[in-house]
Amino acid sequence: MQWRILFKKEMIESWRNKKWVWVPLVIILLAIIDPISNYYMPQIIESVGGFPDGTVLEFPEFAPPEAVLMSLGQLSSLGILVIVFMSMGTISGERKSGVSELILVKPVSHFNYITAKWTALLVLVWVSLFLGMLVSWYYTNILFGDLSFTAFLLIVFFYGLWYMLVVTLVIFYNTLFKNAGMVAFFTILTIMIMSIITQIFGHVLEWSPNNLTDHILKMLMTEDIPSQLVGSAGITIAISAALLVFSVIRFKNKAVL
Amino acid sequence: MQEFLNEINWAIIAPLLIIQFILVVVALIDWLKTEDTNGPKWMWFFIIVFINIIGPVLYFIFGRSQR
Repeated sequence: MQWRILFKKEMIESWRNKKWVWVPLVIILLAIIDPISNYYMPQIIESVGGFPDGTVLEFPEFAPPEAVLMSLGQLSSLGILVIVFMSMGTISGERKSGVSELILVKPVSHFNYITAKWTALLVLVWVSLFLGMLVSWYYTNILFGDLSFTAFLLIVFFYGLWYMLVVTLVIFYNTLFKNAGMVAFFTILTIMIMSIITQIFGHVLEWSPNNLTDHILKMLMTEDIPSQLVGSAGITIAISAALLVFSVIRFKNKAVL
Repeated sequence: MQEFLNEINWAIIAPLLIIQFILVVVALIDWLKTEDTNGPKWMWFFIIVFINIIGPVLYFIFGRSQR
């Protein structure tokens, strides 16, 4: 009951912030901008010109999985930046403005407070991802070739886990720092370090969350769910759950306010 | 250039433009309603209107003052 009230409060707040409008729109833009511009690359280069007569330019034909990879590439870079910046102040901002004190003087459990925020963020991010990839899937079918709807659902599900980890990281750092800038900085730093470690120790860390995109691509190529993908998914869920538990503990202990 | 514009299938490009347009409009409505922003208010107007795609996003992330 209490959890539902907190969750509702989060939803209303992100609606009033217009987050429910601009986050999905930006994610859709990011998801389709690369496939479209790559599709029109020959025309763009032709109109810009500058090549002597008789120059033959070869443009690769993209297969549907490559188009999906373009979308995921943008979502993994700019998309993550948008999510981190959009959510960096979710707890730290409330601490600064005193809203969290107003809430927590009442008998509100810290667990409910954190998980309500986490769920609200996750719903927003997942809905945005779903819409973005849906539009991208539509374009892929028009411009590059068939991609089954099941494949689309699998992409959204497995890539959604990666976004879940990002959201959990943001919540975790929110309980550590009062400054929203620090939250954003450390979240992005953590993601970068994770990706560097995965690249260096790639042969042992096949199940690293950072490999989710690679495994998704492999799934599209072989039209079968590779075991590494399931492994990565499991690890991602486990890390997120652990981080969430840490966040609650951390938040409880620090609630001297 | 004219040739290029004719070659484009507008049904494909239109959604991109529409999304950009909605972003700008929503940002402007929000900008009109708020009393104060981080930094001078008129500055955000130019950022929203003149910077493609990123302008409205910058406004939503950094422009709105948190109460």
